[in-house]
Amino acid sequence: MIFETVAKILGEYKDVDPSTITADATFASLELDSLDTVEIVMSLEDAFGIEIDMEQPLQTVEDLVKLIEAKKA
Amino acid sequence: MIVTEINRLFGLKYPIFQGGMAWISNGQLAAAVSNAGGLGVISSINEGEEALRREITTCRSLLHNPDFPFAINVMLMSPQAQAAADIAVEMQVPVVITGAGLPTPYMKKWLAAGIKVVPVVPSTGIAKMAARLGACAVIAEGGESGGHVGDLTTMVLTPQVADAVSIPVIAAGGIADGRGVAASLMLGAAGVQCGTCFLTAKECGVHANYKQKIFQAKDIDTIVTGKRLGHPVRSLKNAFSRQFADMEYNTNLSDQEIESFGAGALRRAALEGDVQNGSVMAGQCAAMLHEEKTAQQIIVDMFAQAEHVLACAGKFLTEEESHA
Repeated sequence: MIFETVAKILGEYKDVDPSTITADATFASLELDSLDTVEIVMSLEDAFGIEIDMEQPLQTVEDLVKLIEAKKA
Repeated sequence: MIVTEINRLFGLKYPIFQGGMAWISNGQLAAAVSNAGGLGVISSINEGEEALRREITTCRSLLHNPDFPFAINVMLMSPQAQAAADIAVEMQVPVVITGAGLPTPYMKKWLAAGIKVVPVVPSTGIAKMAARLGACAVIAEGGESGGHVGDLTTMVLTPQVADAVSIPVIAAGGIADGRGVAASLMLGAAGVQCGTCFLTAKECGVHANYKQKIFQAKDIDTIVTGKRLGHPVRSLKNAFSRQFADMEYNTNLSDQEIESFGAGALRRAALEGDVQNGSVMAGQCAAMLHEEKTAQQIIVDMFAQAEHVLACAGKFLTEEESHA
């Protein structure tokens, strides 16, 4: 469920079909730079009602999903 | 006098920060700016930890009043960031300016030590995150600036950041005189940060050739290179930057080859004075600088002009309708 929401938000941000976004996709492969990543993290915070501290650099979609899972737990 | 939240927040006579410039912003320059009533900034990525400690000590020894604030600049992408972050706490540096990312890993420690943290931000998203982390102000730095640059210009970034956060905003990028200061205030900033103009200060120890190159620069003389590598840099056009630009477009060259061509280039220009084969980083406002002045004179002139243009701004307001 978390992955689906992340993929949906990434899809909207990049204007691509969310079903084409895989967990192992890197932000670089999605052509997202560090500034884009911050924007996406903020959208996800709103979507999940959490605060995400970007202590560690995020590389892949899965990194982001794990971070949200940990916050929601 | 121009007084904003920045004067009060940092205990400054003038709401102006000096930019942290690698290999250039040392204790002597920082002390000169702080003594003149602005906030002097020491770059932490010059020659390693001992050098940073030495520059902080030098700055303190030159301050006319031990209560005058100064800062160190921590470049977060640098391998020396952690060490610089620790030194800030250990040596009780009053203010830390951060660049190139979010200072998340260090914030708790700095705030616990009573350090005021001011991140340089290239977007509203980063500004909001910085405010949430406990930054007391942010520097909205537009791409007119020298060295590492973002895409947005000061004109569009400053008002958007001012709308995005409730903490004070300092405008940077392209500001070299009082008109720039006045415009920054009108854009919603409460202060300015200037790098290039302090680079030409009498107290700045950068090589004389570097200063001369800035004084000779025309409006069209800067170039941005390194976009392909993900960290674009603005510098003056010369043999080095032209070749760098050519190499970027050469698809036969690897990123690594280009990186290694750029390594050490700023040091070569700033310390050795090789302004042809080194990187002469400077902002677009380089062409607005014509003579060496003391840091004090730079600030006094800038704010006198800012006061004048702000005082005259009422002339644009009239009750009459224009049909011209």
